[in-house]
Amino acid sequence: MEEKLLNIRQASEILGVSVDTLRRWDKSGKLLAIRKEGGVHRYYHQKDLEIFASDLVKLAHDWTAEGSEIPSTFYCADSSIFQARLSTLQAVLVKAGIADQLLPLVVAVAGEIGNNSFDHNLGNWPDTPGIFFGYDVTKRQVVLADRGLGILVTLRRVRPELKNHVDALRVAFTEIVSGRAPEERGNGLKFVRQVVAENPISLFFRTGDAELRLEKDNPELFITRSATDIRGCFALINF
Amino acid sequence: MRIELKKFGTTLISRQAGKEALAAFQSTLAKLQPDEKLEADFTGVITFSPSWGDEFLTPLLQQFGDRFVLLPTDNPSVTITVELLEKTQHKKFTRA
Repeated sequence: MEEKLLNIRQASEILGVSVDTLRRWDKSGKLLAIRKEGGVHRYYHQKDLEIFASDLVKLAHDWTAEGSEIPSTFYCADSSIFQARLSTLQAVLVKAGIADQLLPLVVAVAGEIGNNSFDHNLGNWPDTPGIFFGYDVTKRQVVLADRGLGILVTLRRVRPELKNHVDALRVAFTEIVSGRAPEERGNGLKFVRQVVAENPISLFFRTGDAELRLEKDNPELFITRSATDIRGCFALINF
Repeated sequence: MRIELKKFGTTLISRQAGKEALAAFQSTLAKLQPDEKLEADFTGVITFSPSWGDEFLTPLLQQFGDRFVLLPTDNPSVTITVELLEKTQHKKFTRA
């Protein structure tokens, strides 16, 4: 039996983006619509929408890099929405039978990275407030991103000598320091580093043009420069 | 006196929530006797983070010192958080 096609309005409701965004995505090739023979209206297969929405890394990356619209399912406009969705992630992981010794750490790592975005950008978001927060339990991945100031700008408030994103990323993950001066705070990323180094979790973290890779049993920080710059921060957690 | 942390939720993550929890707990805390111990019970908490812990546990450690006692738990998010808070505060929590 042939799969029923969804019209553009139905597709926009499923993805949580506007009809205009879907038209733009069709024109740019980001998400191609189907046209019935000789017709002008756009249609979509449900499966294509599911595949599109399952590419969390691409959706989050495009949002930080280009500011493209993201499905509302993944957008947390403020920290209360993030907290609620984090509780849902916890419930989903419990249901999926993730081990007791791993589950709290995955949620806590995601929580600290997401909170960091809110704590350091509150009242200072350059354009879009809030974060991208998505997860796929089957792929065992959690993706977070923000279009905030990035670690270099927030850390320079207390470490004006920091010169580039690589140095800033290293300080953020190694030194007890805060970007919310004069408060003695901001230790979430040190927690993240310790948890990842001691558990079967890996982390890819990007801010500006600096990229960090962390994995189990390897407390070394691998920080490299990437060819392109992104706005804010991007994090991929695998567990 | 025993604080059952699960009464504040099973996902204790954000600074804001930690701050609110401590503020809400103040009226109960006022009943603590001068020589009475204050015990933190983590039973039932699933996820615990340094942000929440820093807003709730750190002020209690500063206020009550040795009288503030952490009850044993095998939750790794609690253990790692407590160790990190001790490092940032340069002060040890009393453990039961």
